[in-house]
Order: sequence, then C-alpha cells, then structure tokens
Amino acid sequence: MFVHLGQQLALDAPGHDDIANIGFIVGAKCVAVIDTGGSMRIGRALRAAIRQRTRLPICYVVNTHVHVDHVLGNAAFDQDRPSFIGHWALAAAMARSRDFFLQHYADDLEQPPSAAQIIAPDRLVAQTLELDLGGRRLSLRAWPTAHTDCDLTVLDDQSRTLWTGDLLFRDRLPALDGSASGWLAVIDQLARLQVRRTVPGHGPVTVDLASALNAERRYLRALIEGVHDELAQGGSMQDAIAHVAAAEKPKWLLWDSTHPHNVARVYEQMEWE
Amino acid sequence: MHPYLIAQRPPSRLTRRAATLLPWLLLAFCGASFAIGDAQTPSSGAWGYLQKQFYPDGNIGLLDESYMSLEAPANTPDPAATPLTLRFGDAAVGHIKQIRVIIDNNPSPVAATFDVTSGARVAEIDMRVRVDRFTSVRAIAQTTDGKLEMRSTWVNASGGCSAPPSAAAAGMLGDIRFRPSPDAKSMLISIRHPNNSGFQIDPRSGEPIPPHYVSHLRLSTGGRTLLEADTGISLSENPTLRIASDQPLPAPVTVDIDDSKDAHFNASWRGAVAESAATNTAGAGGTR
Repeated sequence: MFVHLGQQLALDAPGHDDIANIGFIVGAKCVAVIDTGGSMRIGRALRAAIRQRTRLPICYVVNTHVHVDHVLGNAAFDQDRPSFIGHWALAAAMARSRDFFLQHYADDLEQPPSAAQIIAPDRLVAQTLELDLGGRRLSLRAWPTAHTDCDLTVLDDQSRTLWTGDLLFRDRLPALDGSASGWLAVIDQLARLQVRRTVPGHGPVTVDLASALNAERRYLRALIEGVHDELAQGGSMQDAIAHVAAAEKPKWLLWDSTHPHNVARVYEQMEWE
Repeated sequence: MHPYLIAQRPPSRLTRRAATLLPWLLLAFCGASFAIGDAQTPSSGAWGYLQKQFYPDGNIGLLDESYMSLEAPANTPDPAATPLTLRFGDAAVGHIKQIRVIIDNNPSPVAATFDVTSGARVAEIDMRVRVDRFTSVRAIAQTTDGKLEMRSTWVNASGGCSAPPSAAAAGMLGDIRFRPSPDAKSMLISIRHPNNSGFQIDPRSGEPIPPHYVSHLRLSTGGRTLLEADTGISLSENPTLRIASDQPLPAPVTVDIDDSKDAHFNASWRGAVAESAATNTAGAGGTR
C-alpha cells in the first residue's frame, strides 16, 4: 500500500492539482488505485509510480468523492481498462460537476480539454462492496451525506488501514459541501472503527483515528452552534462569516479560502430548519 | 511521484527490497502553471450604458466613504448567494431616496432598485445576489435633495446565475421568516422562493428552467411603508433582505411580495410581545 501526500495549498494556487492524498494498494493479482489527483499530470505520475513497482494489472480505480482534486486524474488510467468505482451518488455528482471542471480546470486536462476525460464510475456502491485484489480484500463503504453527498471509505482488511477520503481533514480546514450535521454523525461512526492506521483525504497519515477526528468534530460543532446563534439574533450571512467559530482560526490551514464558504453553506441550510 | 509505503503484505523478499528503495520524502512537482487570466481584469460591463440610461446628467459622488459603504466578501462563499452589505452613515440616514444595485457583468445587471419612503431611517440593507462572472458591483444612492453617491466593489465569483437549484430549494413557495435583532433595530427576512434566473439547467431532466423570480417587494413597519423594491433574477435562491435602522423597527413588520408569475405572498411579524402572547395562548389552548 502506497500513499502520496498532497500539498496543503488552496484550490486556485499553483500546484492545486496536487493537494489530495492519493495512492494504491497491491494484491497478489491486482492493483487498486484510490483517488487519482487533480489533473492528468498527477494521474500519469501516479500511474508511473505504480508501474515502477508492479506489472500487475490495475483492476480498480476508486474515487472517494466528486471533488476535482480526487478525480481529474482518472483518465490517465483509462488505458488500463479498470473498473471505476464510487458511491451510488457519485455518477450524478460528476454529471453535475462536468461543466464546472471544464470551465475552471481545463488546464489540468489533456489538451484539448473534453468531457470524455472526466470519467464517472461504472460500478456504484449502494452500501458496501468488497474487492479482492488476490489474497487481499478491500471493504468499500458508502456513507450518508457528510463532506459531500457521495463519500466513500476504503478499508484494507489485511493491514487494517482506512482511507477516509475527505471525511477526515487534518491540519487543512475541512471544506463542507454536504451537511455539517450529517458529517458529525458520520464522524461518530468512524471514531468507533477498529483500525490501525488512517489515510485522511488531506494531511498526514495517523495511527490514532479517534483523536484525529476530534479536531474536525470540534470545528463542525462550532460552525453549527455559531450559525444557530447568529440566526437567532437576526444576523446576516456577512455577520455569520465574521463571527462564527472565530476561535478556530489559528488551528487550521487555509482558513480564509474555505471558512466563509462553510459558513454560507450551513447558514443557507439552517435558515429554513 | 514517489508515494511512500505505509502498509505491506506479509513481507516477502521482493517487497522488503522494494520498501527499502522507496524514498520517504516526496518530490515536489515543478512547473505547475495556473492563471485565472483575463477574467480578473476589471471591466465596466454594462455600467457605461446603464449610466446613460439612469443617470444621464448625473454628477456622481465617489468620495465620502462615511456617507455610504458597500461590502462584499473578498472570497465569495457562494457565487449564487454572494452577500452584499450597504451601510449608511449618520449624515445619510433619513436622507436617502433611492438605491440601485448593479452587477455590471450579470446578464441582467440591475439586481434591485430600492425606493425608500421619504424620511425613513434606513441605516443598512443586506441582500444576497447571484454573480455570473468576475465583476464590479456598485450601489448608486440618490439623496432626497437630488444628489448621487456611488460605491463599488470587485467580486471574484462566477457561475452564480447558472448554478443548479440547491438542496435547500425545497419547501413551501412564499414561506417568509422574520428574525429580529435583540434590540429590534434590524430585521432579517428570509423568503422561500427558487428565484430561478432562466440560466439554470434542471440536473435531473437536463432541460432549462424558465425564469421565476421575486419581482417586487414592499416592506412596512408600524403600518407605514418603509421601502419598496423592484428586484430581478440576480437575487439569490431563497432571497433574503436584512434592514437595519438606527431606532427600533415598530411592529408589525409586513412584507408583500409579487413574483414574475403574478403570485402574491405576504407575511407579518407582530412584535416580540405579540409573538410570545400568541405562543402562550396556543399553549393554554392545548392544555384545556
């Protein structure tokens, strides 16, 4: 099992295609790729890294969710004819995002950019799915709406290593594109898993999943409580962005590019609860 | 790329050798290039012709920041719901006749035109707007003595007009919520309405969604009209309006809304005392 750690950069910074943690797992018969990076360039580099280590076929490409930094390298693996696998809602999410990717991340695709390079899953996980790599079993699990509406985790049964995708952010401020309360519920379930090692979507690998989840839980709770209080006082979205969870700011990277979006998301949802 | 090994099969000679060869440090990628490009270059967009249309002989003041200010976040949290805040200084409160909010590069640039009742003490207006592409946003106020004052700001956002309806778009059309501040000087009004821009695609059917938006609203406090507004497709989904004064807003606060399909909605907030009395009454009724 190999992991490449992405850099903690903003989505519009140079190097923004290399911000997610990606990697691969090698069995006796097959290789499974977990997320492919934010560009064809990263996808190709990952494929080259695999080919330096094994000639085994790349049977599976698993995407943990729809975000650009995790899926745009998919096309680099098209030549291997793998099965592309994702959460049951991932295909629809990719269809929704296709134009956005083409408009904003055209430079990260093979030129000329085309919709065909944005590869959606051909195999969907309704709840759980097991993949056999040859003497090595991966357990995939689809979660209810949390970070996004299409979060999927991968557990390597042999090493008890969990790939959380972006259900776990470390150091980098969590980006909310789903439901804050849904995410908290999933965090509680993840914290009970018996695993020896965890690969987050962003940030360093950890052997202590429960502790790593605490920081994220604390931020999401502060977000919900803060927006609730702001709405109760008739505060605007601007007020909420200025005040909510401000004490969390020194504890995270990339606050300014992510926190306002998170507050807006929660505000728009809680306004009608 | 040099991914590092974090778990392996029960060690065989081959994998052990491979592991020792793997560098644990990651090689930084070089040569990444990224440019937002022309989109960041300010453009006056529609302002040139709108100025001729609305303010043909206007001498528009630009200097006095304490008179009026316009704020938008540097990093737009949501291009389809970018918050804008207009504030009026002490010298301006009670002397504003009209405010027009223009988003230069939007397909329908005039987001809202507020006509303020003479003497009404409006100190702040917050709203949320769709931003289609990088643009100047400007507010032009006309004072009761006929002078013009303009503020503008730059918003880095795109895609707000064509953004698909959000999950929060469900619910009852025309539902209106009131949230007063504790000192009653401001009122946050949330309106349940899709405010479809006409540039959105239904993600399920792939068909265009026709425009359907709040076209006019009237806000009254204490039985008097405070302001009226002509609005358009640039307002966000589930439009909100927050009005603040330098004195408590007298109840009832009433909103009357017309939409582009000629539907009418209205709702009133009857004040904290009346609200809690109503709750008490309902509670008493329930125990009988």
